[in-house]
Amino acid sequence: MKATVVGAGGLGGPLALALGAAGVELVVVDPDLVEVSNLHRQIQFTAGDVGAAKATTLAARVVAAGGRAKGYKLRWVTEDADDLSADSDLIVEGSDDPATKFAVADWAVARSKPYVIAAALRFGGNILVGAPGTACYRCLFEEPAAADTCAAAGVLGPVVGAIGGAAAAFALAIARNGARGNLGTLYAFDDLRSSPDPRIVRFSPRADCTACAQRKAS
Amino acid sequence: MATIRVPSALRLLTANQADVEVDAPTVRAALAALDQKHPGIAKKVLDGDAVKPFIRIYVGPDDIEALQGLDTPVTTRDEIAIIPALAGGR
Repeated sequence: MKATVVGAGGLGGPLALALGAAGVELVVVDPDLVEVSNLHRQIQFTAGDVGAAKATTLAARVVAAGGRAKGYKLRWVTEDADDLSADSDLIVEGSDDPATKFAVADWAVARSKPYVIAAALRFGGNILVGAPGTACYRCLFEEPAAADTCAAAGVLGPVVGAIGGAAAAFALAIARNGARGNLGTLYAFDDLRSSPDPRIVRFSPRADCTACAQRKAS
Repeated sequence: MATIRVPSALRLLTANQADVEVDAPTVRAALAALDQKHPGIAKKVLDGDAVKPFIRIYVGPDDIEALQGLDTPVTTRDEIAIIPALAGGR
């Protein structure tokens, strides 16, 4: 089993460490360097990592824990996606960029691969679990837009660990048995300080979804 | 009164209030009432007369897109949930 993890930060850290420890071979992709301001929530890194590439440093941590991983210091974009991720069995997204989330989901739909899209902000987060044939990320949210980021709105450090861990659990469920019951579902964790229970949003394919239409046409 | 469930991502606009009670017959009126209590929040949710594409609104378990959109009636026992796409996580 092989997976691409897009983003090596607050979400990508727990995702990669959990999946790598479970025996999933990983491709880790992130263009950023470790900054001091990351350390309160990106606990896969240490002060000694400041200035190093997140992707390769995280991949090294996965390998040090006994897993298999390769890191790439670059932004995951559709143009390079087949080179990076064509041999992945699933793709998991934990970046802070709305356009990347849509690009990953659209590519996964087009390539008939299961995927997990995770996000965290302030005290909560969202996880969408998708696969070909079910309603997709674009069916639900339609198009990227300027959204608040952790840098602007903040995030409680442990929240990214919790959301990243939950996203890893969904990814492992896909890896093991297809996670039929979770596909086409958004888990919206509102405020982890008061409740760990997500709102479970099951949604239907949207008739005018361009990603689903492209898949059907190809 | 219906209850609007404000997501944590938007609670900076409601002084961290998660649940806001409003007296309104439809989702549209409920959002207007919410904006009266907490000015600026409607702009985060609506684009003119439509819900922004990266935001979903549910009345109970149902997406208002599958009901009557912003004209979906609400009762005093309804919960209106605003669910935005999030991008944070790095």
